[in-house]
Amino acid sequence: MFDFVIRRLLALMPVLFVVLVIVFSLVRFIPGDPAVTLLGPGATESQVAALRAQLNLDAPLLQQFLEYLTGLIQGDMGRSLKSGKPVADEILARLPATLEISVFAVLIAIVVGIPIGILSATRPNSGFDHLVRVVSLVGVSIPAFLLALLLQLIFATWLGLLPVSGRMSAYLFVEPVTGFALIDAWLSGESGAIRSVLVHLVLPTSVLAAFLAATLGRFVRTTMLEVMTEDYIRTARAKGLTWSTVVYGHALRNSLLPAITVVGLKFAEMLGGAILTETIFAWPGIGRFMFEAIRNRDYPVIQGTTLVFALLFMLTSVVVDIIHAMLDPRVRGKMR
Amino acid sequence: MKLRHILANALVASCLAAGSAEAQEASTLAVAVPSDPRGLEPGTNRAWPIGSEIILNVFDTLVAWTPPEFSELEGRLAESWTISEDGMTFDFILRDGVTFHDGTPFDAASVKFSFERTMELNAYVKATLGLIESIEASSPTELTIRLSRPYPAFMSILAQPQSAIVSPAAVAEHGDDFTNNPVGTGPFKFRDYQADTRVVLDANPDYFRGAPKLSRLIYSVIPEASTRRLELENGGIDVIQQSGQLSAVPLEEMEAFAKNPDIQILESPSQIIRQLEFNNSHPDSPFNDVRVRRAVAHAIDYDGLLGGIFGGTASRVYGPLTSNSWAFNPKVTEMAPGYDPEKARALLAEAGVDPADWNLKLYGFQGSLWGALATFVHANLADVGIDVEIAQTEFPTYRALHTGGEHKIALDGRQPWYNDPDAHITIGYYSGLADSAMTFRMPEDKELDGLILSAQQESDMDKRRELYFEIQEQLVNRVPGAYLFSPKLIVFARSNVSGLVVNSAPPLNEYWSVAKN
Amino acid sequence: MNDLIRFFRINTLATAGTSILACLLVAILLGPFVGIASPLELNMAERLQPPSADHLFGTDSFGRDMLARIIHGGRYTLAIGLGVVVVAFIVGVFFGTIAGFLGGIADMVIMRIVDAILSFPALVLAIALAAAFGPSLQNAMLAVAITLAPQFARLARSQALGVSVKPYVEAAVSLGLPKHRILWRHVLVNAIGPLLVQASLSVGSAILQTASLGFLGLGAQPPLAEWGADVSANLQFVRSSPWTALGPGFAILTTVLCFNLIGDALADWFNPRRRSEM
Repeated sequence: MFDFVIRRLLALMPVLFVVLVIVFSLVRFIPGDPAVTLLGPGATESQVAALRAQLNLDAPLLQQFLEYLTGLIQGDMGRSLKSGKPVADEILARLPATLEISVFAVLIAIVVGIPIGILSATRPNSGFDHLVRVVSLVGVSIPAFLLALLLQLIFATWLGLLPVSGRMSAYLFVEPVTGFALIDAWLSGESGAIRSVLVHLVLPTSVLAAFLAATLGRFVRTTMLEVMTEDYIRTARAKGLTWSTVVYGHALRNSLLPAITVVGLKFAEMLGGAILTETIFAWPGIGRFMFEAIRNRDYPVIQGTTLVFALLFMLTSVVVDIIHAMLDPRVRGKMR
Repeated sequence: MKLRHILANALVASCLAAGSAEAQEASTLAVAVPSDPRGLEPGTNRAWPIGSEIILNVFDTLVAWTPPEFSELEGRLAESWTISEDGMTFDFILRDGVTFHDGTPFDAASVKFSFERTMELNAYVKATLGLIESIEASSPTELTIRLSRPYPAFMSILAQPQSAIVSPAAVAEHGDDFTNNPVGTGPFKFRDYQADTRVVLDANPDYFRGAPKLSRLIYSVIPEASTRRLELENGGIDVIQQSGQLSAVPLEEMEAFAKNPDIQILESPSQIIRQLEFNNSHPDSPFNDVRVRRAVAHAIDYDGLLGGIFGGTASRVYGPLTSNSWAFNPKVTEMAPGYDPEKARALLAEAGVDPADWNLKLYGFQGSLWGALATFVHANLADVGIDVEIAQTEFPTYRALHTGGEHKIALDGRQPWYNDPDAHITIGYYSGLADSAMTFRMPEDKELDGLILSAQQESDMDKRRELYFEIQEQLVNRVPGAYLFSPKLIVFARSNVSGLVVNSAPPLNEYWSVAKN
Repeated sequence: MNDLIRFFRINTLATAGTSILACLLVAILLGPFVGIASPLELNMAERLQPPSADHLFGTDSFGRDMLARIIHGGRYTLAIGLGVVVVAFIVGVFFGTIAGFLGGIADMVIMRIVDAILSFPALVLAIALAAAFGPSLQNAMLAVAITLAPQFARLARSQALGVSVKPYVEAAVSLGLPKHRILWRHVLVNAIGPLLVQASLSVGSAILQTASLGFLGLGAQPPLAEWGADVSANLQFVRSSPWTALGPGFAILTTVLCFNLIGDALADWFNPRRRSEM
């Protein structure tokens, strides 16, 4: 097993290298001069030139790239042009917020998506099945910003039930210890803090979870239907096993394994959705941070957040592969 | 099952949450702002609105504009001051017995330290505080500042956030990190900053003008304007800052707020000007012909813009100064080109140009207000046969375009940060500064440049006004741009908020006198 | 032809999707001839009118007819969806086939790049690229196409790998026919099913992503009637005049839904096991 993990990580290296090249080069093509931004109105040519030198924008590209790599290895992602703080610190400060909604969204998606997929597959062409198919198709077709807008309109504007922005009530002050609002709220012992955090989580996580839940539901339904036409299932039925033993004992087990992979793969798309969701719900995560950085032409932050998104995704796919390998010995063999 | 339980709980709880939080935090004021603050300390501040306002609440300046008129300066850390005949020497008597939040006593040496530090760190103040030749602290309460040349707006500069007084001990302790740990003498102490989330300020019970009425002031970051308004309506926040100036407030929502007894609207005219501006020193632009510039100015439906998009939250501008400026020349209201598409077409014909082959890009800022403005101007220009392509550009790129002079026509605006015509005229139209900032890029013109410089340095206020009158007439005749509108400063607040006074130049509010009932 | 009729006979949902798209296409083509309102002309006197007989979908803050803007925006949306996928298809199939055909270093380099692109959340990469290229509709489309191309590359590569060792290819080569021409043809013929399914599903993603870029201000610029940009421009009016933002929003949803219905049906059609079931 240890071998497998090492091999999996090694296989990742060339990809990681290309990812770094992409991340590095993408901001070099952006029009506009960051030095002019930093200095603000009234800056002279020589000040701009001095700053360009300080930011190393004038060095040969290869040298810039090598220095970028050396920096990364030491955990240095440069400094934000806007705040002047280290990008790594800025991202770390915002990462918990993104992880918080992502984790909740994945949980919701699994809890909702898998059961409806199973129920739908075990009653093919029933009314419920048709409903699930249509709703889940809407779920994968709806733009995240439209869903967010609808939920805001319904639950906040018209019903006045749920808050639409931030991680907790503006009046609550909870000492930020871990950066995870729920944990901090619990640590603070402040009455109502946990409740406030949960209430604020409902809408943004629902928007994020919708796409994943719909994808998962569709996937589980399809694979279960396929598995149930397999010969061994027919054999099992012929041998007189009860229907539910066949469905839950065989078909389900065989379709859940690929479902794990789907969660892993679609997790990336969900992270992409975090940019929209966080921007709409004023959620202080790295998605919104990236969006703001693009508006401000904050080179190092755009690089840092893009890279972190890619790393998060690569990490997820490795973890998914490992889980897969643990559950299915055949996969381990294949990597050899 | 468990999750459903939690969710159900959460839903029920939400109905109660707002109420309990408010009861618990009756003396906390939550102010919604559109973005993270920048430059929380004078040494690095470059007039970013949110950071600047926080500075004015955490720090004090020597002088400040007196509410509610904001036309006279009053002493803050300075008790009194005298200005020499030649307008170059300023003597201050400073307040005694004031201490910084960290316990360091405030004295003349800390003023000298603060000014010298800001001058060294902050390129933004080069044209203003940079005029200081020497600062002398003759005793803890006596200070003398000498300028290298007369500058009548100097006292206004001292009311600016960049001129606030910092604790020398705290600067020594935190160094570069002072911006994350700002320490001043102001009514509120800096408590906490969470990225993209909030800034928390706690009351300073020992404030020299008396403890503030609030116990805590929270700046809550909510980027989307409609979300801010929704939060205000639902009681999630108490105040929305600077509404009209950064985003168009839909007429319908203004009306809904006006009828809502839980919400009050505080309005105040500003000196901000938004314009459609030409690059007046482009080597090859159709707008080098004054008739073409005039045609564009006649093409804009000014009243339609004010009524349709701004619904009374903005007022008309006729020339380079707003009509509430003390130097405003009323004659320009008649001289300025009005909406007249016929005349615009005639002028274009007279100039013998064919707009079809201009291939113009209309540059503008991003955001809904600027998008709406660009859409409106686009349609107005199309109406007289000028086809432009809208290019909404991120601020840095936009500024680079401007300072490089690559644009021909652009939507722009200037927000004066001190209460003096100098803030509009010198930076906007003096040819020596043409490519130093986002200006009208005026070509060199000995007469006009001379007028601008003498107006800037004249210490006799009546003579200055005369000079600015002349400058305004000359500028309006040259049509360096089409002056579109001046947005009002609009603050929305819950009705139980009292004591809030909206400041216009700079558009920053102090919360010392604010209370929640 | 018979296949096509059979395809629609057994796929009611796909038929519905195709019909709706056909209606949109007719509206786009005929709109200008039946006197639909201008999507660009301002009419401040009629701003923010709720839906009525005169304005079926209401008007926006400039008094522009929302139905006209939606129909007009449909042009861009269809062009975006198809344009992006065509570009992604050509680029992806080209590089995928080359990788499978040449093998060795070329294969390794191309596939590592493919893997790397797939290592980014698609929208994140599209946003970063669109921001780098500068905000415009063309740049946004290019950015989205880049994120979609790898799927096609992978499909084409596996086909090319399989085909190049087939006896008839080797036979054709020994007859002196240029190998690459045979290869292209066989890759396309053999992989057309999966590629078509991938393409039809990609149209939905392409529209969704480009609309998201438009929503974030990185795509179409005003006064273009692009749906995503329209949702974002009207966001501030959504409380008092919800139709302004919801109209174009639902237009995106409907169009993507239709393409996905067709894609689903195609996926079933080309899946031998599922097909036999039907």
